[in-house]
Amino acid sequence: MYEDLKKDIQGKFPAKFEVIRERRIKVSIDKNSVLPFLSYIKSKGFIHLISISCVDWIKENEFEIVYHLWSYTDEIHIMLKTRISRKKPIFETASEIYPVAQTFEREIHEMFGVDFKGNKRQIPFILEDWDDIPPMRKDFDPLKYAKSHFETEEYTEEVWTKVRKIQKFRGEE
Amino acid sequence: MSGIGKTSRIKSLWVTYYVTGCGGIELLPVITSRFDAERFGIITSATPRQSDVLVVSGFLTTKTLRRIIRTYEQMPDPKYVVALGACTINGGIYWDSYSTADKLELYIPVDVYIAGCMPRPESIFMGFAHLMAMIKGDKADGWKRYHENYKWYKKNQDKALGNSKKWRVRDV
Amino acid sequence: MKGFEYFIGPQHLGIPGNFGIIVNVDGDTIVKARANPGYLHRAFEKLMERRLYLSNVSVVCRICVFDPDPQEAAYCMAVEEIAKIEVPERAKWIRTMILEFARISSHLIYLGSLTSALGLYTVMQWALTDRDYILDLLEMITGGRVYHIFMQPGGVRRDLPEGFKEKAKKVLDSLKSRLSDYYNLIFDNNIFVHRTRGVGVLDPEWALSMGVTGPNLRACGYKIDVRKDDPYLAYPELDFEVPVLEDCDMYDRAMLRMKEIEQSIRILEQILDRIPDGSVWKPVPNPINWEVPKGESFVRVESARGEVAYYMVSDGEDKPYRVNVRGPSITHGILVLEKVLEGQRLADISPIVFSLDVCAPSIDR
Repeated sequence: MYEDLKKDIQGKFPAKFEVIRERRIKVSIDKNSVLPFLSYIKSKGFIHLISISCVDWIKENEFEIVYHLWSYTDEIHIMLKTRISRKKPIFETASEIYPVAQTFEREIHEMFGVDFKGNKRQIPFILEDWDDIPPMRKDFDPLKYAKSHFETEEYTEEVWTKVRKIQKFRGEE
Repeated sequence: MSGIGKTSRIKSLWVTYYVTGCGGIELLPVITSRFDAERFGIITSATPRQSDVLVVSGFLTTKTLRRIIRTYEQMPDPKYVVALGACTINGGIYWDSYSTADKLELYIPVDVYIAGCMPRPESIFMGFAHLMAMIKGDKADGWKRYHENYKWYKKNQDKALGNSKKWRVRDV
Repeated sequence: MKGFEYFIGPQHLGIPGNFGIIVNVDGDTIVKARANPGYLHRAFEKLMERRLYLSNVSVVCRICVFDPDPQEAAYCMAVEEIAKIEVPERAKWIRTMILEFARISSHLIYLGSLTSALGLYTVMQWALTDRDYILDLLEMITGGRVYHIFMQPGGVRRDLPEGFKEKAKKVLDSLKSRLSDYYNLIFDNNIFVHRTRGVGVLDPEWALSMGVTGPNLRACGYKIDVRKDDPYLAYPELDFEVPVLEDCDMYDRAMLRMKEIEQSIRILEQILDRIPDGSVWKPVPNPINWEVPKGESFVRVESARGEVAYYMVSDGEDKPYRVNVRGPSITHGILVLEKVLEGQRLADISPIVFSLDVCAPSIDR
C-alpha cells in the first residue's frame, strides 16, 4: 500500500516511513528538515493540520513533537515525529505554512516550556498568574502543589464518630 | 425582619445568571417548561446588583473563583449562596488537580449544599425548598457571618489565589 | 485608538458557559476582538496519567459538557487500537445509537440558544422539553441523564432492557411530527431572516485553511464528514446522506442542523430495525492489573460540533503515558471568532458566538 508516496518522500528527505494500517502512516524525520517537509507535503494535498502534540520522554532527556496531517482528496493520515533536546527546548514555528498552528504552539509553550521562534503570540493562554515550572512536564507533582495551596477536610476518626451519631439519631443504621 | 418581609422574600428569589461549571447543564431544564421554576417565583436576573441568590454550580478553578468573589461582593444584603454538586463539598473528582480549589466554605459563606454529580432537577427543587424554610426560621445568615469574620475569609483567599492587590483591582 | 474597551465577560446572559471576549469598539462597530479562555481549566491531560485505564472513562466524559458521548467513544477506540481488542458487532451498533441520540440533543440546545439570543424565547421552551424525552430514553439504558459512563474498552456495560424498542419508536415519531412547527416558527419568520441573512459570513477557502470542521464547514459548500471519509463503528453498513448548503451565513448554519436532525432520525430507525444479536462485552484479561502493551494510536470521531481527535501513547504500564485531546472548538473559538467579529455590530456578538457553536470546556480541558 502507498508505494508511490513512499518513493516520493524517501527520494527527497532522509525519513523513516512505516504503514500501520489502512489510512494511517507514520514518518520519523530529523529536526532540521521539518519545515521543508511541511511545505512539500502541503503542495501534495495535505492541507488539514489536525493538531500538534508534545510528549515528554524524561528518561531519554528529549521532547518529541508530533504533527498530525490529513488529506481530503486521498484520505490518508500522516503522523510526523521529530525530537528536540530537553535542556534547551527551542524550535521553529510552522505558522507561515499552516496559520492554524499558532494556537497549538501557544499552548505547548505554556504547558511544556518550548520556545517557538517566529510565533508572535506566545502570551498566556489558559493559566493566569502562574509562578511554577511548566505544569505538564513529568517532574511536576500536582498533588504536592494542591496540598500546599488549597485546604481540604481529612476524614479522621472524629468526623466519622459525628456522622455515626447523626445516622443513629435518624434511625438509618 | 417582620413576617410580611420574610414572606415576600421567600415568594420571589431572583438568581444571578452565572454558569460556572458542569452543573449549569441541569439548570437549563429547571427554568424551562418541563420542570418549571417560575411557578415558585424563581427567575434569572441579568446583573448581580439586582438579585438575591448566587448558585455556584460545579467545580471552582482559581481563575473563576476570583470572579465569584467579586460577584458575591457586588450583591446587596441580604444574600444567599447555594452550592451545587460534589466538587464544592470536598473537591470531588478533581481532588488532585493543581488548578481547582477544594472547599467552597473557606472562601465565601454557604447556606445550602446540594449533593450529586449532577443533581437531578427534583433535587434542586428540594434544595430551594430547604432554603425557603431556613429563611422563614431566621437561620440563613451567611451574609452576617461574612461581615463578622472578614479577616479569616480574606486570609484563606490570599493563600489560595495569590496577591490580592493584583486581582481585586484588575479590569478583566 | 479612540473608542471604548468592553469586557463581555464570564457572567453574561449571551455567552454559552464560562468564556470571555474583550472587544475594542468605535461607536457601534467592533474594531478588534480577543478571546479569553481558561476559566474551566481542570488539567485533564495530567489527571489521566495518574489513573488506571478503566477509571479514565469516568473522567473523560466531563471534557465537553453538552455532548459527552463522542469523547467516551474516541477514548475507548484509542485503547482498543493499541491493545488490539476486537469489539463484538452488537456493541458497535449500540455505541452508534447512543452517539446519534447525543447528536440530536446537542442540536436541540443549539436551536434553543440561538433563538433566545435574538429574542424569540418560545423555541427554547419547546427544544429543551423535546430533549428531555430523549434523556429519559438514555436514562433507561445507562442509568444517568447527562453523564453516561456506559462504554468500556471491549464493548458496552449492559444490554438493552425490555420494552426499549417500542418506547424509542414512540419518541422518534413524536419528534418527527413536531419538526414542521419548528420550520414554521423559525425559518419562515421575517425578523429571523432579516437578522441572520448576510451576518457572520465565513469565506469558504479561508475557512478550509483555518481548520474549521463539522457542520460549520458543510454550510460553506464542502461535503466533508468523518463518518464517510474515515469510517468507524457501524457507519459503513448504514444508509444516510450528508447535507450541504451554499452560503455561509448564520441562516444556513441553523438550517443545516435542522437537516442533520432529520438524517439522524433516519439512522436511528434503521438501527432499531436491524440490530444484530450477540454478546455486548468482551472481557479484558485481569481487569485489576491490566497492562497495555507499548504503542501509540490516533482516532477521529465526528461529534455534533466538529471533529474530535485523540492521540494516545502507552509505555507498557497500567496507566497511560500521554493522552492528547483535540476538541473542535479550539479553532472555532479563538482565531475564527476573532476574525469574524471585525466590522460587526455590538448587538450581534452574542448571536455570532452561539451560531459558531463554541463549546468552552473543550478549549480549556
